[in-house]
Amino acid sequence: MKQFFNFCAVAVFIFTVLCSCAGNPPKDERELAEKAFADAEIGKDCDREDYLAAEELLRQAREEINNKNYDKAKELFNAVKEKSDAIAKYYREHPDECMKKDNGNANGEDDGTIKEENVDSTDAADPSVDPKNPDMDFQVVHFEYNQYTVLEEDLPKIDLMAQWMMNFPERVVRIEGHADERGSNDYNLSLGEKRALEVKNKLIQAGIDGERIKIVSYGEELPVDPASNEEAWFKNRRAEFKREN
Amino acid sequence: MSVHFRLITLSAVIFTCFNLLAQLQVEVKDGAVAEYNMAVSPLAVLDGADAAKASEISSAVEKVLDITGYFKILDKKSFLEKPETAFKAVNFKAWLDVGANGLIKGTIKGKDEVELELAFFDVAKGKTLIQKKYSSKAALAKKSAYRFAAEVIKLLTGEEMNFMFSKIAFVEKTGEKYSLVVTNFDGSGRKELYSTSKTILLPEWSADGSKIFFTSHEKNNPNLYSYDMKSSQIKTVSAYEGLNVSASAYPDNKTIALCLSKDGNSEIYSLDTTTGELKRLTVNAEIDAAPSVSPNGKEIVFVSGRSGNPQIYKMSLEDLNKVERLTEQGNYNQDPEYSPDGTKVAFSGRDEKYQFDLFIIDLSSRQISRITQNQGKNESPTFSPDSKVIGFSSNRSGKSRLFLSNISGTRQIAVYSGQGEVLMPSWSPAETN
Repeated sequence: MKQFFNFCAVAVFIFTVLCSCAGNPPKDERELAEKAFADAEIGKDCDREDYLAAEELLRQAREEINNKNYDKAKELFNAVKEKSDAIAKYYREHPDECMKKDNGNANGEDDGTIKEENVDSTDAADPSVDPKNPDMDFQVVHFEYNQYTVLEEDLPKIDLMAQWMMNFPERVVRIEGHADERGSNDYNLSLGEKRALEVKNKLIQAGIDGERIKIVSYGEELPVDPASNEEAWFKNRRAEFKREN
Repeated sequence: MSVHFRLITLSAVIFTCFNLLAQLQVEVKDGAVAEYNMAVSPLAVLDGADAAKASEISSAVEKVLDITGYFKILDKKSFLEKPETAFKAVNFKAWLDVGANGLIKGTIKGKDEVELELAFFDVAKGKTLIQKKYSSKAALAKKSAYRFAAEVIKLLTGEEMNFMFSKIAFVEKTGEKYSLVVTNFDGSGRKELYSTSKTILLPEWSADGSKIFFTSHEKNNPNLYSYDMKSSQIKTVSAYEGLNVSASAYPDNKTIALCLSKDGNSEIYSLDTTTGELKRLTVNAEIDAAPSVSPNGKEIVFVSGRSGNPQIYKMSLEDLNKVERLTEQGNYNQDPEYSPDGTKVAFSGRDEKYQFDLFIIDLSSRQISRITQNQGKNESPTFSPDSKVIGFSSNRSGKSRLFLSNISGTRQIAVYSGQGEVLMPSWSPAETN
């Protein structure tokens, strides 16, 4: 250990004083572990305890990397991979059993552990936003005043809906377009229509068959908040996903 | 005593009115607020006539004169002379003392069969200008009074007005319930034609006043329907996927312009309601909506977002390439409505204070005049058949109500006090019954 420490000290790396590192970061092991863990997600509701354990190991491994304890990290990454592979393997061998467990097992108590690389930044374990859950909450996306471009931060919601529609190919959805109370009723009907259509087009771009997407505009008729202020108007400028079948 | 009128611009009409008023001296002061003070005496109730009917009739006369903006209606409480005084025995001094320029007096006789006698006097000259006797069933007595009021207006201003003989259709929203309602021009005589918890939107009369077009989400798609005033039947007019909204009647009484989104965007089409033949009128990637057909059927005005924000455009129906933008000021102009005389277009626009107000474009001078200001949200302008009065919805006093305004915007009154919110009014053609 000592000679390694000395070696580190003379090196021109910026990591200096508190470093108790051992060799180089285990890059390959980390990549393999993270990929395996991502693959294991599909079986997480099937083998929940192991999945959470793998998640915790991954977290520890990343922490050890930060602490430059590369040997320890390598060990942990290997353990993550082993556990994750086992989960994925179990899922592949017992898909029916895992699907059934989807609902009952899921809960939202494990927030704030690891942020996955999913663009939607939603907690994948929460059934209300789990695209594998047939009863997933349908999303609402918002727009700027007089605009029909979906707000950037709401785009992941459309991706989530697209994933859900991929998972449940027999389902047909309806997108309801709405406007805030400002402006004339007829123009707002057109604006609501444009908004619904915009969302529909995004789903089609994501690979969903347009035949499975109905749209309807309600203009300014169905506000979620009847108040006349910016906050209410923001809430009311929206497109809502609804179940058609 | 001279007679004053508030007049924004001198027009040919006013010069005509000089001639008509040989016996009245009209003093025109540019922009000056000076009104003609009219005293409408309560009617003398004779021969078992209904006192309530009598007061209904005198208020009807007052309301008609009032909404033109040309008259100041004097307060009855100040009147010194009794209603029973005979036409021949009028003490003009007593009316001069209360500030009257003109006086309307009358008698009503009979309960079911009503005889109504009305007279209009020039107070300063002590002269009878109009005297008329009307006999009818009681239900029509108010209409007789309207005829009389129209004659008084004609005599004093030279303007032919018939708004008092027409109706207004609108949507009344009470909680979740939408009702299609028709009232007389003054908000009286409410008749509910249809109601639903789904929407009722954008009612619009057919050219002959026999039908009202409207849109509803009854079948979960905004389809266009027509309500037949005689048979009360509702028929589906247009049910393409997407929008079927904003019907506006051509004068041929069978074609309508409307907004459909079946081709992937809000566009304006014409539809022959007898054959179902459809013709697309606009082609633009942005929203085109809210058509209003000119009274000669040769043009439409509509809203388009083609410049980046909603503006009012005019398009020739004989040459669809002839499109002209009518509004340059403001960045949110909507809801255009052609006046039945073809000279003006009313619209609602968002002003610098982000309020929605009503404006009128004079099509020959292209001048834009303002009707409302600092009075809440004012929307859905609709012209009376004589183009003299504008109906609209305004939330200036809390909930959205039906308002009438004269063309210059100097006189605005709320005329309906139902339970719900009044939205999207549409004025009928003349004489629908």
